[in-house]
Amino acid sequence: MFSVTGLNGASSNGSINVKDAGLIGMITLRGDLKSDAIAKVIKVVTGTNIPDQRQCVFTSKGATAWMSPDELLVMVDYESVDATIAKMEKSLQGVHSLIVNVSDARAVFELTGSSIRDVISKGSPADMSSKILPVGEVRRTRIAQLAVAFWFTSDTTARLVCFRSVAGYVMDWLENASEKGSEVGFH
Amino acid sequence: MKRYSAFAIAKNALSHHQGWERAWAKPQMKKEYDAVIVGAGGHGLATAFYLGKNYGITNVAIIEKGWLGGGNTGRNTTIIRSNYLQDPSAAIYEKARSLYETMSQDLNYNVMFSPRGVMMLAQTEAEIRGYKRTAHANKLQGVKTEYIGPQKVKDLCPIIELSGPRYPVLGALWQPRGGTARHDAVAWGYARACSEMGMDIIQQCEVTGVTQSRGKVTGLQTSKGDIKCKKLGIVVAGNSGHLAEMAGFRLPLESVALQALVSEPIKPCMDVVVMANTVHGYMSQSDKGEMVIGGGTDGFNNYTQRGSFHHLEETVRALIETFPMVSRLKMLRHWGGIVDVTGDRSPIISKTPLSGCFINCGWGTGGFKAIPGSGWAMAELMAKDEQTGLGAQFGLNRFQEGRFIDESVAAGVAH
Amino acid sequence: MLNFRCPNCEITADETDLHCDGQAHIERFGAGASDDDLETYLFMRHNPKGVHFERWRHVFGCGKWFNAARCTVTLEVFGTYSAQSLVPPKSLINKIKKKRPEWEGFVK
Repeated sequence: MFSVTGLNGASSNGSINVKDAGLIGMITLRGDLKSDAIAKVIKVVTGTNIPDQRQCVFTSKGATAWMSPDELLVMVDYESVDATIAKMEKSLQGVHSLIVNVSDARAVFELTGSSIRDVISKGSPADMSSKILPVGEVRRTRIAQLAVAFWFTSDTTARLVCFRSVAGYVMDWLENASEKGSEVGFH
Repeated sequence: MKRYSAFAIAKNALSHHQGWERAWAKPQMKKEYDAVIVGAGGHGLATAFYLGKNYGITNVAIIEKGWLGGGNTGRNTTIIRSNYLQDPSAAIYEKARSLYETMSQDLNYNVMFSPRGVMMLAQTEAEIRGYKRTAHANKLQGVKTEYIGPQKVKDLCPIIELSGPRYPVLGALWQPRGGTARHDAVAWGYARACSEMGMDIIQQCEVTGVTQSRGKVTGLQTSKGDIKCKKLGIVVAGNSGHLAEMAGFRLPLESVALQALVSEPIKPCMDVVVMANTVHGYMSQSDKGEMVIGGGTDGFNNYTQRGSFHHLEETVRALIETFPMVSRLKMLRHWGGIVDVTGDRSPIISKTPLSGCFINCGWGTGGFKAIPGSGWAMAELMAKDEQTGLGAQFGLNRFQEGRFIDESVAAGVAH
Repeated sequence: MLNFRCPNCEITADETDLHCDGQAHIERFGAGASDDDLETYLFMRHNPKGVHFERWRHVFGCGKWFNAARCTVTLEVFGTYSAQSLVPPKSLINKIKKKRPEWEGFVK
């Protein structure tokens, strides 16, 4: 099977660098996040604990992001998604849960630069200050009229996720908002 | 009352226009009236006017908390049309539209009714079907509308962009006898005519309570003292729920803010009214040259006469894709009004659980166009004390009986 | 611009991240209910000038519902609380009463 991302390798280099993060295995898990069964399965597939409210935690094996009080986004290698889901379903048999492969339903952007917070602020109502949104915290909000989620992986790098069907629009939007000469210098 | 005419202007010019009399009197409130109308907006004044004109009831007071015509009458985008789907609505809105045609003569007051034509753009397949259905229904109801293709749309309104970035213009529902009128003049014209009939318009007088005895209304408490009345008409739009509470009953209404804005004046560029309901914006050009733009309602109950900024943004965005040439216009003013919305988006013209108390409300986002028809129907209801005539189907009991007059398509967005 | 603190993800979001779904704590009636009860359930809504309890959903955020107390005249938000509440929490009611002594209290 030959897979491409919704962005198909697009990138732009303005006040920040925006690029297609490539194929990422993404699994939505819904269930009782306080249950031991779910904690155990997350530990097995990504090596992480259940993240605290709004946090995103990483290991070399994968990452887990807190999306809502009963929802996690599990990120693993794209190739291993089917095997991971099979493993999760097996160990969660009898535990109320919902596991869905959303890898090809999302687009992921890799943002690099010192003014990411300013660029996103141009179209999102989220408070982008590093106090409210520190490195490692997930924010689900909107950019323009579209639902997005993003988190900082360091002071100058961030990941942004949106629906695949609007990937082109979000790319255009980010490129436009980070056009050279349009720096805000607020954050 | 001296008649307004070209001759009167010439005559008064000789005395440097010092000889004009007050358009309406500023009377003292009496102790008792045959009928009291709460609310001196368009609907309240029209109710009083037709009580006098059609039924000879002139011992009437019209009580107003602020100044007359200062609520939604002075805040709307002045669009007049009657292309509704359901029979009872088409009847009352068409009555209103036809009364607008002769209003300047009837009131001897220039309300500047301009039947320039109203078009509602069809921008999806569903809208095409919906508007064709409305056009057929209107034919049966005797309301002159037609479904037109995109070329006719462009001929009628050259500044429109037919192939917008999101939704193309596929056609339109066209009502050639729809149009606009000068909103303040409608209130002023009715006020002058009511005053002439001997009715008292009491402004800056807030109602603080409704008095009743044995289930029948007996009068009002106001900030200017108590008055007695045999019949009470509540015509207060966004504040209806508040008044109803005083009278001891509940209404199936929620009050929300609806916004509008106008641009700087420009040369005449558009001589029709255009509503684009899918992208959500509507626009016409006033006689002063300002583009008059209607926005959307907030999604939450609100009494502040001020809406959310992002709704303006949404409206302006829709207009720029429909009329690219307006993108360089500066907006001069924007404002909000409190509209009262019912579950089926149709008004309430009804008797109430309190005998002698009548209510006219729920006009939602589109009351201006209905003013004369609404007043006509409300006057009939109050005079006859019977749910009959034009307003017969608009009773409060329709919500309990499931007899809805569903106009969410005609009224949901655009006015 | 209205700002609410979502009690589910504890983020302060503005109204463009949220959606209002009208009066909270509506009593629901099904088939077999009286005409009066059905009418009240389907159409009669509190429409106060002042303190109002509403359901909101954090649509662009965590996607969860919550309830909020808000003033419809000043747009002041008094507080938010779990959507899984039959009545507003006492602490919130006391807070509102302190700010609005003339308020008649929560009415179902």
